[in-house]
Amino acid sequence: MNEAALKPDTQDIVIDEVFPHAPETIWKMLTTGELIARWLMAPAGFEPVKGNRFTFQTKPAGAWDGTIHCQVLEVMPNERFAYAWKGGHASNVGYGSELDTVVTWILSKVENGTRVRLIHSGFVTPRNETAYRNMSDGWKKVVRNLDTIAGEQASSKLH
Amino acid sequence: MNQTAAINAVMRTLADPTRRAVFERVVKSDEITVAELTRGSGVTQGAISQHLKSLKLAGLVAERPEGRHVYYRAEPKGLAPLVDWMGHYGIFWRDRFASLRTLLKEIDP
Repeated sequence: MNEAALKPDTQDIVIDEVFPHAPETIWKMLTTGELIARWLMAPAGFEPVKGNRFTFQTKPAGAWDGTIHCQVLEVMPNERFAYAWKGGHASNVGYGSELDTVVTWILSKVENGTRVRLIHSGFVTPRNETAYRNMSDGWKKVVRNLDTIAGEQASSKLH
Repeated sequence: MNQTAAINAVMRTLADPTRRAVFERVVKSDEITVAELTRGSGVTQGAISQHLKSLKLAGLVAERPEGRHVYYRAEPKGLAPLVDWMGHYGIFWRDRFASLRTLLKEIDP
């Protein structure tokens, strides 16, 4: 097995839904600080301008204070909005582990509304592990199952 | 085992390269015996058995005895603790989509 060829693999969360509202209305929800606070979390220092840095405050874990550090990466009005989403700490595992991800919103006009696609990309699983090397079909099958299991686990924790 | 202990157990178990190689071979086969795993591995059958024992304790493999043989298979569920961040955000975004939908209904009925 070739150690040099090993790179941690990343996975994305994708949510794709149609909303019965115009893209301009959705865009306003995604890019206005006071509105973001009402459906996501209250951002600090937010401006929908490329390069802008802002934060969200979430639950701390271990050596991590719970701050999510974001930076606006892409602004295409009514179409595409992306920001970096970083947090966690290297000393944590699972919730609160180091997180270096990107959140991308893609809007497209459809009949009677807007298709909203969220891609939260860059999850490294398992973190700093080389268990994903030599990806065979067997591994891919295991990885596909992981999403389902993790989802079930998380929802059972909530109820 | 709590969540952190479960994650640590999985990480510790897979940190050993030989053990990880054993796990990968188990994953690649539907079911496999200790003898088959030992063949061409360069380590003794006793060592393979020890690794399988650790993998079993971490919840990564399951065994099925049949006659004089024991068959091992992977337990994909065992890796679940490692994807906790992803599971967290999977639920998080779904909840936020629901809030967004409700708020849009209020603002733009």
